Amino acid sequence: MNNVTQIVQKVRQAPWRVQRQWIGLFLLALVMVAMVASLYLNVTVGATLAGRETISLQATITTNQRVNADSETLLAGLTSVVAMQQRAETIGFLPASPEDITYVAVPGFMAHSAVDMSTPGTVAPAVPIILPEYTESWFDYFINQQASSASGGGQP
Amino acid sequence: MKQHPHAWRYLSTTFLLAVLGIAILVQVIRIQNSPEVASVIDQGNYVWKDYFPPRGEIYDRHGSLLAGNKTVYEIGLDLTVNPDMPTVMLALQMSGLDINEVNYRISLAPANAEYIILDDFVTANKAKTLMTLQEAAYGDPTGKNLDAIYFKAHYARSYPENDLASNVLGFVTEDNHGYLGIEEKYDNILAGIPVRILVPADPRRATEYPTIPPGQTIILTIDREIQAAIEKILDQALESTKASSGTIVVMDPRTGEILGMSSTPRLNLNDYQSISTVFPGETPFNRAISQAYEPGSVAKILTMAGALDSGAVRPDTVFFDEGYILVGGFRIVNWNGGAWGNQDMTGCLANSLNVCLAWVSTKMESESFYSYMQRFGLGHATGIDLAQETSGRLKIPGDSDWGPVELGTNAYGQGVSVTPIQMVVAASALANDGKMVYPHVLYAQIQDGKQSNTRTQIIGNPISSSTAHTISEMLANALETESSAALLPGYRIAGKTGTAQIPLSGGGYDERDINASFIGWGPVDDPRFIVYIWLEKPQSNRAASVVAAPIFKQVVEKLVVLMDVPPDAVRLQMIGR
Repeated sequence: MNNVTQIVQKVRQAPWRVQRQWIGLFLLALVMVAMVASLYLNVTVGATLAGRETISLQATITTNQRVNADSETLLAGLTSVVAMQQRAETIGFLPASPEDITYVAVPGFMAHSAVDMSTPGTVAPAVPIILPEYTESWFDYFINQQASSASGGGQP
Repeated sequence: MKQHPHAWRYLSTTFLLAVLGIAILVQVIRIQNSPEVASVIDQGNYVWKDYFPPRGEIYDRHGSLLAGNKTVYEIGLDLTVNPDMPTVMLALQMSGLDINEVNYRISLAPANAEYIILDDFVTANKAKTLMTLQEAAYGDPTGKNLDAIYFKAHYARSYPENDLASNVLGFVTEDNHGYLGIEEKYDNILAGIPVRILVPADPRRATEYPTIPPGQTIILTIDREIQAAIEKILDQALESTKASSGTIVVMDPRTGEILGMSSTPRLNLNDYQSISTVFPGETPFNRAISQAYEPGSVAKILTMAGALDSGAVRPDTVFFDEGYILVGGFRIVNWNGGAWGNQDMTGCLANSLNVCLAWVSTKMESESFYSYMQRFGLGHATGIDLAQETSGRLKIPGDSDWGPVELGTNAYGQGVSVTPIQMVVAASALANDGKMVYPHVLYAQIQDGKQSNTRTQIIGNPISSSTAHTISEMLANALETESSAALLPGYRIAGKTGTAQIPLSGGGYDERDINASFIGWGPVDDPRFIVYIWLEKPQSNRAASVVAAPIFKQVVEKLVVLMDVPPDAVRLQMIGR
């Protein structure tokens, strides 16, 4: 206990040490503010870049969708009835008449019916792609955490 | 107090560090508020953006695209940068844009306009030419650049088959609204729902865009090969018979699926603006559903079916044809004015005797006769899923303009008006065990990758199954008896011709022109198709058996190949195995 009292007395007794403490505290505060500001700037730059990339990707998606639509329509034009008939005639085919056809019974053969354009697995996602962790505030985070812990969630 | 000997060091270090720290803070604040950053992030601003989902595509029953989308451009000019107008106009002209249209749009712009739309729905080729010119002129030191021109890509409807099935499809105008046919009937589901969202201009606030579902894709019951075949046959028929117009409908009598529907004239849907030229006056867009006419003798199949079903006559009932019959005080005669003597009911159909059928309807009596006609759907629209269907007219006792003679004339298809689709639906009961089916063009809808097929709907049972089989046999026998030009070797077909007089607007009937029709289905024991032919005012001949029956045969020749329908003997042999 005596040693501690002696040390305190010695420090108090040196004014330049007090001065240094204040300077150190000031600089520490300044460094912290600068660090926070820099961090904020860094995060802002990151968010801005990500946002611009998001917008850019959105534009790319839209462009790709248009290119797909254009390609599909172009392909349909190239394979239209008129175009296909002309090509068939050019290479020497003739339309078949009932007399030209020979029917053969093939066990298990199923006559072709109308098209089925179902595409399992391509159902549009019902949930947002961006997870809430990337958009919620600290306040929202804590509220959600509280809500999820209150609702239990333990296994039966 | 004594100054520490090294205090200046601490003070100067403190000062330097403080300046450095403050400089960092100032720099951070300066960067965030600099014009460069402001120009990028556009802080705090939000803009409304409209997103128009691509219009749903339309396919035929085998997955061939009938209506799709393509990219077109809106071309605008930013007036705030003082564009060099001669250079701009020259570039637009070189790109193939309509300069008159551009000048007109410029003349409409207000004096203080900052941005004007020079042209819209510009094709991708023209827009790309203009983009190339803009790129070449970029940074021109004389200031004659094209930097003020802006391009905004968007969708426009495109029909890769041009006029194929145009009467069924309809078209979409530049305001993205469907008109006529399928495009109008299913406009709501094809167009999708435009979404307007508030988008932050600040990329730091960029968030996930809502998923904008495109318009639903739909699949039609139409088979494009059948459609192309019947359109070609119809065009040739009009040329050979010199008819003023024509209609062919092909339906599956078991399901009500329309496999093909052709009507003249047809419109190149990619050039829908020419509709007023192609369809002058009140020309119906699709005669199969929108033009009612007196069908004539094809309606005899309904009269006979009703009479057989009600028990008024039997197939072997004999009628002595004296060449005329009085109904309601009016004299009804046969198509050739002759007397045909003793005829059974098959003979009455085979020889298409008006007198016999008028006798049949009077034997049924008006209440029963009109009850059957109504059960066959005459006088009521079928409800087919195409825009602008009309219902025709069936006058019934009690109507102010109905007279007792109508009972006789209606029996052979005069004095009653129907659309081709009504006749097809009514006859489907004869081909389909007495069950009348709902006609439809929509085969399926695609939503979220799932296909929902349209179900077959029975909309009535006007006659019994046995009556349907009996009348089908009678009609098949009648065709064989008269060695009809409609018959296709190897296939048993049921059918009936119709040569109808055309009523004049001032009363009476046209002495010169007629309507020639044919309705038939096959194979009789297991019908896969029902075909309706209608030629309006053919000039080459006045008999449907000469002008319409051969067209029916041509259509059936194509159908049995395209639908894989083997000859009856082969089919029955296959079933027997």
